[in-house]
Amino acid sequence: MRRPNVVLLALMLAALVGWLGLESVNVAANRIVLGTGFRAHQVVGWPGALVSCLPLVTVAILVRRATRVRLCWALVLVVLMLMAMPAWLAIAADRLVDPSLPQSRLGIGPANWLLLFLLLLSLIELRVRLALSRWAAWWLLLPVLAAWWLALAFWLEPLALLREYRGRSDPFQTAILVHLSLVGAAVGISLVVGVLLALAMRRHAGIQRLVFSVLNIVQTMPSLALFGLLLAPLAWLAANVDWIAALGISGIGWAPALLALVGYSLLPMVRNTFVALSEVDAGVIDSARGMGMSHRQVFLQVRLPLALPVMLEGVRITTVQAIGLTAVAALIGAGGLGTFIFQGLGQAAMDLVLLGALPILFLALVADTLLGVLASRLDHRRDAGVPQ
Amino acid sequence: MIELFEVTKRFGSEAAVDGISLRVEKGQLCALVGTSGCGKSTTLRMINRLIEHSEGEIHIDGQPVRRFKEETLRRRIGYAIQSTGLFPHWTVERNIGLVPRLLKWPRDRIQARVEELMSLLGLPMESFADKYPNQLSGGQAQRVGVARALAADPDILLMDEPFGALDPITRETLQFELRDLQSRLHKTIVFVTHDMDEALRLADHLVVMRAGRIVQQGAPLELLRDPIDAFVESLLGGEDRGLKEAALTPVSHRMLPLGPHPIAQARIHRDASLHQALAVMFREHVDRLTVVDVEDMPVGELTLRCLVGVHRGEPGA
Repeated sequence: MRRPNVVLLALMLAALVGWLGLESVNVAANRIVLGTGFRAHQVVGWPGALVSCLPLVTVAILVRRATRVRLCWALVLVVLMLMAMPAWLAIAADRLVDPSLPQSRLGIGPANWLLLFLLLLSLIELRVRLALSRWAAWWLLLPVLAAWWLALAFWLEPLALLREYRGRSDPFQTAILVHLSLVGAAVGISLVVGVLLALAMRRHAGIQRLVFSVLNIVQTMPSLALFGLLLAPLAWLAANVDWIAALGISGIGWAPALLALVGYSLLPMVRNTFVALSEVDAGVIDSARGMGMSHRQVFLQVRLPLALPVMLEGVRITTVQAIGLTAVAALIGAGGLGTFIFQGLGQAAMDLVLLGALPILFLALVADTLLGVLASRLDHRRDAGVPQ
Repeated sequence: MIELFEVTKRFGSEAAVDGISLRVEKGQLCALVGTSGCGKSTTLRMINRLIEHSEGEIHIDGQPVRRFKEETLRRRIGYAIQSTGLFPHWTVERNIGLVPRLLKWPRDRIQARVEELMSLLGLPMESFADKYPNQLSGGQAQRVGVARALAADPDILLMDEPFGALDPITRETLQFELRDLQSRLHKTIVFVTHDMDEALRLADHLVVMRAGRIVQQGAPLELLRDPIDAFVESLLGGEDRGLKEAALTPVSHRMLPLGPHPIAQARIHRDASLHQALAVMFREHVDRLTVVDVEDMPVGELTLRCLVGVHRGEPGA
């Protein structure tokens, strides 16, 4: 514990160099023209820029001797810096954006993105070093999120990201809803089908080989190709079968998207469920049977509960994967947050891309944490009470 | 009572167990010994029908095991295995109460039985009831395994190398505890092991198996004195089997009444084994020991000559 924490030291030095060397913000007259970049010292002058470096330097000094107390202080400083970032953006907006030009806007520059990324990495490193639980990390992020929300709601009017959102608040909410519905439906359906398939595979080795080879082929297909492949048959079905058309199914839209998402979700789901059920300690099953439990009791009271953490791991992987894949589904008209990404790419409006990409990132992180925590709660193979 | 009549088990064309007949009297502990793959575990698992026998008959208390429903049969037979097989997601208390719960005992009867068993096996309720199996040491986990096997008070207990994975000291402790337990509970036990010392220490009836057949069976002392062939002899320790016999015989069986001559300095407890007595003589360089009782009062003497049995035929004191 007395030795320096090299990881944090390197992170802080990189952040320092990036902060002073890269453009912190950029200002554009409207959403299409390229903005002008400003470095930290161009925003607040050299004295201000050097003052803004102080927390980074302090953390770097603190971690030169990595005792627990010093790491705790470093953690506090990292969280404070994350909270201060929107304030920095507000200062920059106040100084650089001309209020007389209603279209002018403030973009977040590479220095800020880099700083955000490196600070989050430091947070993860500190969480591991201080042996905090995943929950604790989220509690730490709470004040950060609050600070960002406050700033976005009241002080960051000229921020480009916010401008893009303001123009689309209704479509944005719909997009999130559609995105979550698609993910939820895909994960739900593949969970049910996956469990049934895994159970069938445990009965017959033949089914096992067939299912795995089919799912492996599906998994290797590029997502866009799979969406495309489903287009023709579904369009044909919708044109020829009335009740399918009545359900709203067509060659484009949510139906092919959902089908493809289920196809992709099945492999991790089936694989994890199958492995989870098969890898329950043979001795435990043997003694359960030897004690006189019926097949049903062995399955429901022993095999299933012991397999559950690994199965949940499958649900976690599937969910995170589906959240990402649903972005691509926007291309075939399924809606969701991907819509903004592709619109933004089409219009060369990077801030619109971010409006789609950032929530996807956030959703994936939240889903990952929640399901991870749930799985470790259910896992008694670890010592109860020791944070994971 | 367990009886096997000409029981055979085939996996494909190979016979894992080949026409064995065996009788375990009520209250006896029968140890099945042999090298790996000799069919001893298969034999054990055929008794509670975890493996179905191909030919022959297996009876418990005079009734063929096939007459019972599998689950019913197993719930009246205790079962303990090397890996303990404790359910990792259940507490110790719940693990022990498994079979009584399957038998739908009322809740307070289960609670009382679990408490009784935990104290019987030296697992204080307050510190162990709520623990999970992964929080236990190997010896503690195996005690819980034995408690679980005894939970519904079955007449018959099947134990498949229950102490095989433990360190030598813990193993010996548990062997003594099992012997102590058995002297009080008088269960009919079939015990599989590949550790001959363990078998000799515990068994009333010793069965040596090789390649699916029984090579020799009988009381441990009979086998030690009269092994049927070189295989049994080597399994029993070759030249060392004399010492193993000495280890099974208590000092009180060979000691003489106190003679007129002054008593010897070196002492040995009357319940110690001849093996230990020999060790004391060897260490102290003497050929005569004073035998004492629990209060350290001299009750007899043991000479090297009577220890090794030169005086066989003279009555023991």
